[in-house]
Amino acid sequence: MTYSITRRGLSRALVLAAGFAALGGGAALAAGEKIAVITPYLSQPGTQFYVEAFEARAKELGWEVNVIDTQGDVAAVISRIEDVVAQGVNGIVINVDPAQIGAGLDAAAAANIPVVGMDAGADPRIKANVTSNGYEMAAVTSVYIANRIGGAGGVVMFTFDAFPPVQVRGVIADAVFKNYPDIKVLDRITPDVSDGGIADSRAKMEALLAANPEPGSIKAVWAAWDQPALGALQAIEAAGRQNEGIVITGIDANPQARDAIAAGGNFEASVAQDFKGIGSTAADTLARVLGGEVLKANVIYVPTQLVTSVNAK
Amino acid sequence: MSYRPLIGNPMPQLALHGVVKTYGQTRALDGAALELRGGEIHALMGENGAGKSTLIRILAGLEVPDAGQITMNGAPVALPSPAAAEGLGLRFLHQELQIVSALSVAENMHLTHPYPSSGFGLVRWGALRASAKAALERLGITHIDPRATMGDLGPGDQMLARIAATLVDTKGPRPWAYVLDEPTAALTGAEAERLFAALLTLRAAGHAILYVSHRMDEVLRLSDRVTVLRDGRHVSTMGRDQVSREQIIQDMTGRDFATLYPPASAPTETAPLLQVRSLQSGILRDIAFTVNAGEVLGLAGLSGSGRNHLLRALMGAVPRQGQVLIKGAQLGHGPAAAWAVGLAYVPRERRAEGLMLLQPLADTVALPHMPALSTAGFVRRAWIAHLVARLVQTVRLKAQSQAQVAAELSGGNQQKVLFARALAGPPVVLLLDEPTRGVDVGAKFDIYATIRGLTAQGVGLVIVSSDLPELIGLCDRIGILHSGRLTQIVPAAGLTEGALLALCYEKEVA
Amino acid sequence: MVRFLRHYGTLMGMAAIIVVFWVLLPDTFMTARNWLNITQQVSMLTVVAVAMTVVMVVGDFDLSVGSMASLAGIVAAVLFTLGFSVPAALAVALGVGLVGGLVNGVLVSVIGILPFVATLATLTMYSGAAFILSGGKTIFGRDIPQAFGDFAKSGLPLGSLGDKPFVLPWLTVLALALTAVIFVVLELSTYGRRLYAIGGNAEAARLAGVRVTFLRLTAYGFTGVGAAVAGLMYAARVASANPTQGEGLMLNAIAAVFLGMTLTRHGQPRVLASVLGVLVLGIMDNGLTQLQVDSYVREVLVGLIILLAVSISALGRKAIGRR
Repeated sequence: MTYSITRRGLSRALVLAAGFAALGGGAALAAGEKIAVITPYLSQPGTQFYVEAFEARAKELGWEVNVIDTQGDVAAVISRIEDVVAQGVNGIVINVDPAQIGAGLDAAAAANIPVVGMDAGADPRIKANVTSNGYEMAAVTSVYIANRIGGAGGVVMFTFDAFPPVQVRGVIADAVFKNYPDIKVLDRITPDVSDGGIADSRAKMEALLAANPEPGSIKAVWAAWDQPALGALQAIEAAGRQNEGIVITGIDANPQARDAIAAGGNFEASVAQDFKGIGSTAADTLARVLGGEVLKANVIYVPTQLVTSVNAK
Repeated sequence: MSYRPLIGNPMPQLALHGVVKTYGQTRALDGAALELRGGEIHALMGENGAGKSTLIRILAGLEVPDAGQITMNGAPVALPSPAAAEGLGLRFLHQELQIVSALSVAENMHLTHPYPSSGFGLVRWGALRASAKAALERLGITHIDPRATMGDLGPGDQMLARIAATLVDTKGPRPWAYVLDEPTAALTGAEAERLFAALLTLRAAGHAILYVSHRMDEVLRLSDRVTVLRDGRHVSTMGRDQVSREQIIQDMTGRDFATLYPPASAPTETAPLLQVRSLQSGILRDIAFTVNAGEVLGLAGLSGSGRNHLLRALMGAVPRQGQVLIKGAQLGHGPAAAWAVGLAYVPRERRAEGLMLLQPLADTVALPHMPALSTAGFVRRAWIAHLVARLVQTVRLKAQSQAQVAAELSGGNQQKVLFARALAGPPVVLLLDEPTRGVDVGAKFDIYATIRGLTAQGVGLVIVSSDLPELIGLCDRIGILHSGRLTQIVPAAGLTEGALLALCYEKEVA
Repeated sequence: MVRFLRHYGTLMGMAAIIVVFWVLLPDTFMTARNWLNITQQVSMLTVVAVAMTVVMVVGDFDLSVGSMASLAGIVAAVLFTLGFSVPAALAVALGVGLVGGLVNGVLVSVIGILPFVATLATLTMYSGAAFILSGGKTIFGRDIPQAFGDFAKSGLPLGSLGDKPFVLPWLTVLALALTAVIFVVLELSTYGRRLYAIGGNAEAARLAGVRVTFLRLTAYGFTGVGAAVAGLMYAARVASANPTQGEGLMLNAIAAVFLGMTLTRHGQPRVLASVLGVLVLGIMDNGLTQLQVDSYVREVLVGLIILLAVSISALGRKAIGRR
């Protein structure tokens, strides 16, 4: 309940922030700036959302946006950056790891053309990377669990420290659970992810359920992304222990997770990235850069959104 | 079932006069004329480039002449399209037959007609076969089974089936004239005989046949009239009583040929160049013969006797057992080994087996001799240019340049490219498979002269040819092949065409 | 007229494309820097296209070049993570390319599978191998040696251009060098002339003493190694390796060779013509991006240009054949 209010509040804050950005940065700009958005991943759903939101915001700013899809070809991103640098665009937006396109970023830097990243990764040659805060997402779900179980009981964690964006989530959850003296982390599992993680997480969870047969001995399952949460849910349901009140959370709010959350079972919460917010914030950030502002932080986080049965659909 | 002859109607007559056709700079036809009547076999003769093909393409509606008149039974007509030619009752049988190898004879014969159908698009196979059988019988052909697969038939039977196919349709414009371009080029003697019989049947029914061939003997035997073209112009049209070999050759070439075959020079030495002992390959069994320096050995036999397989086995193009010695040394396996020791080869199918049609002719000439024309793996272009320039002279090849591609040359000049290639080695023994097939008289004479030049230099030759007068005229000895066995080798001197043919058939008759 | 179009149509078309871009982009297109960019952008495609020319000279083609490029990049990157030196890792990756190419050659030439079928099968095999070796992930960051990535960002200094240094990118240098090597092989060596003979008429070549089976097999070695070189160039340019990153190379390389074939008199594949074909594709990408043409529209346009060139060539051939 409290979260839905927060969600609305966040949206308002975003609109306000965008408005301020437009007033602050956009005012100094002449309309008709040429901006190139270059991505190898346009066909992926998340990318589509933020590119569309970027275009919508850019239209309000009076920009001329050219979206270039290299269809998975990362080297072609470099080539197209070189092309638009030659063409003399005013700004470039990318959503690929900067480490892979160093040559293109060098070309842009040499021509003093600012580059802004959307969910791209940090790099000195990028004015700002607009993305979601992984620390924040983990904090939201781990605190959700701590509150739901009254700060006491056994918790199972699913993490994956080999992949940096997921590793930071585990760090935060560790800290939150440690802060509650009565919460006991029963196991910190790294599942095999070759199939996404559902099957192996289910197997690991089944073993844990067998090892802890007492109802109430497992109070919650915290997963660093949605697939282990879904696997744990399957294991709990298969073991017939869905009525013990075990709380499960995931992160990313993928469609399968949203369905499970909407169904109102043990899987209670996940966190969604605000892709549209990333797109429009990237536009506003670029507007600030073009307006001559020197950004202090080169990573700009767009608030994320807790998904529960109230807003899962 | 009986075929209704055309006799009774006034004889159809098609005439072309003063036909001119120009391609770019080249005047292919410059006053050509031809008159074709029902009930005659009419030969169209001329060297390659004389304009025969162009004239036929005009008749077929594939080309429109720049000037000239075409009349049908005296009334002017136009031939703007192949459909118009078909409408006038003309039918064309090309050297490369349009057949679908995988379908049956009956289906091939109905390709341009609707199949007999029972409704719902289902084919009535029985009716289809009966219709094909009836059409074949109109030509007097009973040995072809309409159910046989077309690809399994010999080229002669394929051609007969194609001719019979024009008799399938009983509706629509009746065909009255057939144009056959080099029909016997790929046929054996027996196959050709069957074709001739079918043509005579057609003639007796009042059809006209326009017959294009380089084979003088066929022309003299079959034709009622002969029209000769030279340089795109009409030279003469002669009736059966006026026509003679010498006259046709003179009209075609504009030169007076004393004789077609140049005199043989006496062999200079008698060292054995090629010795073959108990050779086996495919159907070939126990082949043994020797070719001496300056000697020409001919190989005669019916189609399927293994004549050209023998040459391919000698070249190493097909596996073989037994001994082959070149100048007393054992020959290794594979074509590369053969070329390396001076065994040279002019294959039967020049387009399929000899030429790289879209590549400079010098490349084709140099290809088998690459080891001698390169240093450290790099081609010596100057050496090739020098060599090819000399060979072009030797074989009297007419080409714009060494870079010209073979596809742009006439058949005779294409054959000369392969002769140049064979001479480049230079050869110790030269194997020739149908060396003058589809070649005009002028080029033929050049090729004969080349062969004589080689024997004078002491080169040994083995020639396979279906042209029996050619074998008799060129060879010192002729080996007769019967189903894979070399039954006898006879001296060519004094042999007549009939006697040689009899030798070829001997086993079959006996 | 038709013959003229056929002989010079593609060349005139290329000139027209360049002129159009020059007029529409007066300040940015016809600059030395932009052309250097183009040569660097097409360097990988050039390598694959000239290698592809070798098998197309023989009358075959190779669909597996794209996945071989990916595989070579992955092999090198995996070896980097295992601590191999840069030269050792590159040598192994090139070796994989050679072996992969010769496998294609054996399938097509010795066993006698149609090139389309054989190389389609190896396409999926090599792609699968790249996924297995990489675990499906992109290998990047600290795993890729600095020197390897820097190679693609630097070049041969050739003095200065205005106030900036004029540098010929190493990728361009590499593409030029390999083009020169393949040119020498195809045009000047007996080996190359024999390959042309096989392509012109395989049976005639065999009867003329050419070892058709063996030479046809070896031609695939060139595409294998060429694809591997291109894959490594790609990996250096993006300083990472991904099991799918070479995919786009195959169709573009075949398209470039076909475009090139329309330039030659008798429609034969020639090395320099293939390079011109590659340049047409590269110029189209560069110019249309600068003109802000939608990337999907750009693909339609590139396809149309290929069709147009090949149609003119085919019509011209028909006109000649009618004689």
